[in-house]
Amino acid sequence: MAAVLLCAAAVAACSGKSTTGAAGPGGAAGGASATPGPQNSATPKPGGSFTMLEETGLTGAWPTGLDPATDGNGSANQSYLNAIYGNLFELGANGQTINDLATGYTITQDGKTVTIHLRQGVTFSDGTPFNAAAVAFNFKRDLASTVGDKPNWPVSSISTSGNYDVVIHLTQAYAPIINTFHDSNVNWIASPTALQKMGENAFKLAPVGAGPFTVVSDTVSSELVLKKNPHYWAKGQPYLDSLTFKSVASDEAALETMQAGGVDGYEGMQTPQLVSAFGKQFNVLDVPSTSPYVIQLNTAIAPFNNLNAREAVYYATDVNLIDQRLFGDLHPVTQGFTAPNGLFYEKSVPGYRTYDLAKAKAAVKAAGGVTVDLMATQSSVTQTVLEALQTMWQAAGMKVNIHVNQLANVIQQFQGNKWQASLQTAGAFDPAAGLGVNFRFGSKSVFSGVHDPKLDTMFANATSTLDNAKRGQLYNQAAEYISQNAYAPFLFPVNGWNIAAKNVSGPGLTTLLPASAVRPEILWAQVGFTGQ
Amino acid sequence: MTVQSTNRTDNLAAAADPEAAVSVPPPGTPQAPPPAGLLRFPLLRSSRFRLAVRRLLTAIPVVWGVTFLGFTVLNLLPGDAAQALLGADATPQEVAKLSHQLHLDQPFFTRYWNWLTSALSGHLGNSLGSGQQVTAILVQRLPVTFELLLYAFIVSLLIAIPVATFAARKPGGIFDSITTFIALVGLSVAPYILALLLILFFAVDLSLFPALGWTPISGGLGSNLRSLTLPALSLGFPIGCFYTRLLRADVLEQLDEDYVVTAHAKGLPGWRVLLRHATPNSMFGLITVVALNAGTFLGGTVIVEQIFGLPGIGEELFQAIQTRDSPVLEGIVVVFAVLVVVIGLLADLLYAALDPRIRYDNPGQ
Repeated sequence: MAAVLLCAAAVAACSGKSTTGAAGPGGAAGGASATPGPQNSATPKPGGSFTMLEETGLTGAWPTGLDPATDGNGSANQSYLNAIYGNLFELGANGQTINDLATGYTITQDGKTVTIHLRQGVTFSDGTPFNAAAVAFNFKRDLASTVGDKPNWPVSSISTSGNYDVVIHLTQAYAPIINTFHDSNVNWIASPTALQKMGENAFKLAPVGAGPFTVVSDTVSSELVLKKNPHYWAKGQPYLDSLTFKSVASDEAALETMQAGGVDGYEGMQTPQLVSAFGKQFNVLDVPSTSPYVIQLNTAIAPFNNLNAREAVYYATDVNLIDQRLFGDLHPVTQGFTAPNGLFYEKSVPGYRTYDLAKAKAAVKAAGGVTVDLMATQSSVTQTVLEALQTMWQAAGMKVNIHVNQLANVIQQFQGNKWQASLQTAGAFDPAAGLGVNFRFGSKSVFSGVHDPKLDTMFANATSTLDNAKRGQLYNQAAEYISQNAYAPFLFPVNGWNIAAKNVSGPGLTTLLPASAVRPEILWAQVGFTGQ
Repeated sequence: MTVQSTNRTDNLAAAADPEAAVSVPPPGTPQAPPPAGLLRFPLLRSSRFRLAVRRLLTAIPVVWGVTFLGFTVLNLLPGDAAQALLGADATPQEVAKLSHQLHLDQPFFTRYWNWLTSALSGHLGNSLGSGQQVTAILVQRLPVTFELLLYAFIVSLLIAIPVATFAARKPGGIFDSITTFIALVGLSVAPYILALLLILFFAVDLSLFPALGWTPISGGLGSNLRSLTLPALSLGFPIGCFYTRLLRADVLEQLDEDYVVTAHAKGLPGWRVLLRHATPNSMFGLITVVALNAGTFLGGTVIVEQIFGLPGIGEELFQAIQTRDSPVLEGIVVVFAVLVVVIGLLADLLYAALDPRIRYDNPGQ
């Protein structure tokens, strides 16, 4: 199904004339296979003040401010950035690329030149013009930045053509280029004049963009107050007069705060046990992730430089049981780095080793015994999953030590390359974009446990293939190759939930959009109160 | 140190102030010659002033010590600020580039020396993450924390003083038994558990107070106090229970003193003896514990501000540790250290105010 849908998008991409509002390369998202919760798509009424909660540990932290070129937490901060800057492109329902501040794009036949067409007559909220020079300035600044969410474009230069066309010159064809806008900092355009006038430090606390809202006050990682941008380009939008983001310590605290009143939404709830409690009073939108959990195995050192040891892990892991017992069977079990709500989803990988305790015990014996240190980054999900894995693997005869660490410590472990096994997430909406498959499986990534030139070539071919149907096939082959070599067993993408008051409506908040990076975008210009 | 008193309260006072000598001047002490220079001013000659100066001078190595310790601990934690700020997906090259930009690639002592010399010239540096001046962050966030601390302190005293006083009036009575039980429960419950329970009852069920956020005084005093009531209760109630237990024991002890028996013998009503004599004389222990407990009290704001989403200094401290933001952490550490020293000093001065017999002298004089 994915291949058929991809063909339509591929025709547009390869024709050299992608038109306004047409499906871009993202046209194949498996939205149909996702399980959306209750949706409220009523048109909001103008007016009202909206308060949104964000969890302190992820989306509710913006310690480096809100300048796209310096925000080290940019993927997690996309709600704020979307509200202040708008987007060049949005990721719409079913994975369609929707124009926002851009009106379309053109890719040449050889795939090496990409032209972004900009909306005319738009101004930043400081009154300066939104034009090609401003966008090119931002692209160059973003690409030169040190933040992790800048795109991996093989860029040779960036230029402008007239006032409203920005031209990206690439050294080679790069198929996911438009999809990279959805989860990287180039999608958010800052006012160069304001940046110059205010200086970087002041700008990151009171940024100026051309989005639906402007900054009123910013208490870093605590509270961000925005008000309606009166000069916003879309007539009648945003619906809301003001929008306030507040950080909250946990899902439980968010539930109590919403029940106490005065708060209208909560982004990215992660606790399955609280879904019904939220559902009694609020709309709960099931938000499928596009990044499945994977048990990375370090194939460079013992024990997982031995195929038998890796096979033992595959056979000893009962993914379905973990999903049932810990998550109420809420998450779709996967066998590769794609997920139902992302591109190129493949439910079953041919030859994938599933749970078989007898085979696991035999593999452990063949490996001469397996002793493993299994680590993960601390979160409510990883702690329980690690304990379940420890029990299962010990039943197969392995000796297992588990370590739940802070992110900084996990990074150190990867950099030292002494780690043995690690529970992490892999993939993205487009496998080549954002924290894509290369991040966990590419030879050059320090966060990879696999160092296989053949796999690198497969990924490189998939990235440079403009025909999306062929791209899909190449990624499926890569998933099969990972499975054959037992490089890393996959579990499932862990869904999140967006919570909203019953009288709230908005794309991404009450109607499902695909997760682009960490979470789906919430299109704040279209969020508002329905008066129900 | 010289302690010329056998009174238990004086011993407690001395415990809170190991620097100070508490003495009652012996009769017939010869008059000193008239002072010259700055000592002509009575304020500068007062023992309290000299105590304050000594205390503030003592604070210098204390504050220096905690800043060095804070810097060292932050340096020992795994990961660095560049990695924490850029996130997991940054390449080692990007991390190295940012480390260089932030001067994190310099040796530990160089970085500490640079910070220290800058701080001594009045500039506490800029946040490694947001680029904000640390002083601006402190100015933005300290009022919230100060207000929370003051409110919580008042709550704790409003619980402790009346409850302890009336519980001590009839030890083992119904009121004493009930309040003892409540105080023990209050001492056992962690502030974050209490906070969630308070939110459930007063915010969710009764809708009396907001569960999250802070309203500045400019938004109305009523709204401001409403936004801080549950956080202040979360912080103040357990400490109030602690103070209650302590004060009750002290009041009971005072009620056994000879002057109380004399007061009763002179026909003073029981309540008057309790309120006018026994309770005020029991305050020394409480003051001592308040001073000694100041650090714990300040530390409690870190958790409480997180739970209630208060934009105070405790929340900022938590974030600074997470992002290894050493200038912000150091700025907050300095403020906390100075606060603890100042609270200790205030306690010493309060002893003398409550008991005119107490005089602070340098033992060497």
